[in-house]
Amino acid sequence: MTVQDSGPKPIIHAEALSKWYGEVIGLNNFALRVTPGITGIVGPNGSGKSTFFKLVLGLIKPNAGSITVLGQRPWKNPDLHSSIGFCPDYESLPADSTGREYLTLIGKLHMMHGTALSKRIQETVRLVDMGKALDRKTEGYSKGMKQRMKIAGALLHDPELLILDEPLSGTDPLVRKDLMDLIKRLHKEHGHDIIVSSHVLFEIERMTHNVALVYMGRAVASGDISEIRNLMDRHPHNIVIEGERITALAKLLLDQDYAVSVSFNDNKNSVTVQVSRPDDFFNGLPSLIDRGQCSVSKMYSLDDNLEAVFKYLVGR
Amino acid sequence: MDLKRVLDGIFALTLHSTKKLLFGKKAIITILVAVFVAAVMGYAGSQSHDALDDGTNLMDTLILFFFMPVMAMIFGSALIRDEIDDKSITHVATAPLDRAFSYLGYYLPLVIAVAVSMVAISSVGVFAFFGQHGFGSEALQIYVEFLALVIIGSFVYSSLFLAIGVMFNKPVMVGLFYAFIWEGYIGSLPGAIQNASVKHYLRSLGSEWVDFGDISRWDQASSVWGSTALLLGLTVFLLVLGAYLFREKELA
Repeated sequence: MTVQDSGPKPIIHAEALSKWYGEVIGLNNFALRVTPGITGIVGPNGSGKSTFFKLVLGLIKPNAGSITVLGQRPWKNPDLHSSIGFCPDYESLPADSTGREYLTLIGKLHMMHGTALSKRIQETVRLVDMGKALDRKTEGYSKGMKQRMKIAGALLHDPELLILDEPLSGTDPLVRKDLMDLIKRLHKEHGHDIIVSSHVLFEIERMTHNVALVYMGRAVASGDISEIRNLMDRHPHNIVIEGERITALAKLLLDQDYAVSVSFNDNKNSVTVQVSRPDDFFNGLPSLIDRGQCSVSKMYSLDDNLEAVFKYLVGR
Repeated sequence: MDLKRVLDGIFALTLHSTKKLLFGKKAIITILVAVFVAAVMGYAGSQSHDALDDGTNLMDTLILFFFMPVMAMIFGSALIRDEIDDKSITHVATAPLDRAFSYLGYYLPLVIAVAVSMVAISSVGVFAFFGQHGFGSEALQIYVEFLALVIIGSFVYSSLFLAIGVMFNKPVMVGLFYAFIWEGYIGSLPGAIQNASVKHYLRSLGSEWVDFGDISRWDQASSVWGSTALLLGLTVFLLVLGAYLFREKELA
């Protein structure tokens, strides 16, 4: 998949974008076109997601290439912040402040005052379900409450674009579900364009079909999630099969054209098979088990994760 | 540039940071220094037979020349660096306010915090000392004159230590060096080298105003207008430099 040049007007357009910190490369020749809606940025830790967001917000300047956000260059452009709300992946709530004090500061920095600000604070905390904790010190909040309050801070000035960096990390499954529902609602009912990052593809899938995969400072793929899934299905899989009479199954597997290699592990009851077409392998496996008169007690993929897909996509 | 947005932003940051500085953990340092000053000046007051001269000398050496730069260093040198390190600067960095103006939103509360602390410490010292000798009009005059000096000092030292906080990754180390080695030692050496310290010019102003103690008889003073111009120029220069560096700074 490549960066698309057609379609709706992009809200973010990065071309040949590079950023390095001394000898460490944050982004390398990064190209991405983000269109309105919810876009998921998926990549493992350290892949460059946060560096990309810092460039989007103008917190750092690129060493090479260009980036425009809502048609403007972000570096040294504070006016652009009126249109962007940012929820960072780190603790950013000021210590010794209540939620209300934090939101009041954010509101005043965005020229909101008096009853209009109070009303907006109430609306926002109701939206993120933090009304009851508004006057509590933020240092006493749980992880989920902190995430909600940070989202409230990002939402307060009703920005066109919301950037949520790992908003689900560290939260329990119930909070995660609530936050995913909230993010979908913010787009559907309130019209915000949203960019949300995660290192878990499954989480992003629940919020949007539009994703970009980031790995080692590059956007290795972007587009509809079904295309990403196809890529995953096409990439060679290493599958471990354990059970009884596995030797017979291994012999049968060697005759299949989708099997790239078959190797025994520590004992004869465990084999690792590398397949080029996982779908064909999984479809054909029951008949092979039947023909080999063997029984399979356990089967798992060694690389059915994003890291393996990323490596495959960048040809490593 | 939207002037109202700029002023609103500076005011919001000033309010937030002033509260944080005055009622945060550093307030304990102010209280401890005030207790120390009360003890030292209270004891000195009980032993003094020439209250006006002795009290002025103590205000001069203990408060103006020692605690003034030290308190500004404590409050100012890590103010911005701490927020960069704990990332609570995000709400400032992502606000629709030019960072050069955000810098003023740090400077003003710093001046307020340093001035309030030094006024409180000075007041405690003055009352501990002169309270034992009857607080007459001359003591009141000394008090007011030193308050003026610590307020002027708050503006100058705040601009200095805030700029250090933007310039260096380890501002506390640089601040300690400046407050103790440069101001404390170099600024006390005889001869022209002491002209390279802020305290020299504060003392020059004091020598014109104060009628008691060594400061009134100080023969190395620079001219009042020259000192005023230099302190003002230095403050503006450091503010502009700090604001420029803060604006250019990448917040990775």
